Amino acid sequence: MQHRILIADDHSMIRKGIKLLLQTHLGIKDVAEVSSGNGVMCELQKKAYTHLILDIILPDCTSLEIVPNIQRLYPDLKIMVFSMLNGTVYGEALKQYNIYYYLEKTSKEEDTVSFLDNFINHYNPAEMATIKGTSANPFMPLSARELEVLHYMLGGYGTKDISTMLNLRMNTVSTLKNRIFEKTETANLKELMQLASLYNVS
Amino acid sequence: MLNTPWYQNGWFILAIILLAVGYVSLVLFLRAKRFIIRQNVLRALVERKTKEIRRKNEELEKNDLIKTRLISIISHDIITPLKFLHLAGRNLVESNEQMTEELKMETLEEIVHTSRELEMLSTNILNWIKYQNENRQLLREDVNLHDMVRQIFSILNGMAKQKNIFLTNEVPADFALHQYAEPLRIILYNLVVNALNFMEKGHITIIAKTLRNGVLIEVKDEGFGMTKEQINNILADQFIVSSANVDGKKGNGLGYLIIKDLLKVVEGHFTIKSTKNIGTTIKLFFPKQ
Repeated sequence: MQHRILIADDHSMIRKGIKLLLQTHLGIKDVAEVSSGNGVMCELQKKAYTHLILDIILPDCTSLEIVPNIQRLYPDLKIMVFSMLNGTVYGEALKQYNIYYYLEKTSKEEDTVSFLDNFINHYNPAEMATIKGTSANPFMPLSARELEVLHYMLGGYGTKDISTMLNLRMNTVSTLKNRIFEKTETANLKELMQLASLYNVS
Repeated sequence: MLNTPWYQNGWFILAIILLAVGYVSLVLFLRAKRFIIRQNVLRALVERKTKEIRRKNEELEKNDLIKTRLISIISHDIITPLKFLHLAGRNLVESNEQMTEELKMETLEEIVHTSRELEMLSTNILNWIKYQNENRQLLREDVNLHDMVRQIFSILNGMAKQKNIFLTNEVPADFALHQYAEPLRIILYNLVVNALNFMEKGHITIIAKTLRNGVLIEVKDEGFGMTKEQINNILADQFIVSSANVDGKKGNGLGYLIIKDLLKVVEGHFTIKSTKNIGTTIKLFFPKQ
């Protein structure tokens, strides 16, 4: 079967880099690029893709927000997440959405290539699901919902802004915020931000 | 009637007593007053010091936030692109035959574009750090604004041409200002870069006027414009992450941070007037010294 791949990342250099790896190492030429969450939705509607390579933080949203929709609309699309952010935190959270392919952008080139090869040519989520993250991390216990809220908290947004953006009630957002502080054992936003930059979470 | 000597006179004794009492109470009164004055002075001192410490504390906290933000900018906007820049370059050298001509050209263009962007971002981070130091010794000098704007435009002309944007320098040829040259240049540069990033085509114009009480510089663009909310975010003293620009890339909020910090250095003020999809005008005002 012909693979058609869509890459979503806000840095054009990174999109080109992946495209180049796909072409030179895996011989895949049918690769399209988009830079935003909105772009992903539009492109998926236009053409039938087989694989989606997704960054977590896009200019208009986080992937955590659009993944449920994508999966509902395109149940056969295989999704892989490729991000700067800490794999033990986000990789765990994404398993809630049955996404078992998570690669950090800091990975070595050979690892990136073999991971892409696995994802595209030997897709086997059941096997990936058995691999467990090992290192403990204060952000690991956070649910996907909490990670969404965390992202906007770290961006300096207040409870009210977050509630409109994520379409949640103010009370819900406050509860989620308190739970984030509790789970990460931080007392205030400042401590949370320092912890987040230490563990590469945003 | 026996004449008593003057010093045995009852009135005289009374006068002496009164004088003594008066003296003692005067001394007490003066001492009390001195205490009160001292107390007030001390209280004022404590208040002033508290205010100073609070201000310093706020500043430190703000810098702390900015530092966290900078860490994220460096890892997300510098290190990752550099890693892929290297990857792309190496593949061009090593896997040349496996690549289509089209992809080669695409990659080369991307390398040119990204390396330039990285240079601009790093320069700006350096600019911001340089002017954080409060003990800097700056001197005002006579600046020819027309020449300064021409220089800035010549740096950015390549970028503008690519996007069909025209840069217009409407500052009168002999327009002079007594100002800190480097900070002023960085402010104008950042304003023009902002305008370029948020427009697809049209004109960017810089105008300067001498008013009765100072100098006014305007940077006008025909870009996307900003919402009231975005303007408030910029004016509020928090770091701002802008919405996506024309290339679909999210701003990093560094531009206005630098602009605001440097405006404090050059003792200027700014206002933003913007209409969505029509354009934005930034007015800089420098009061007469």
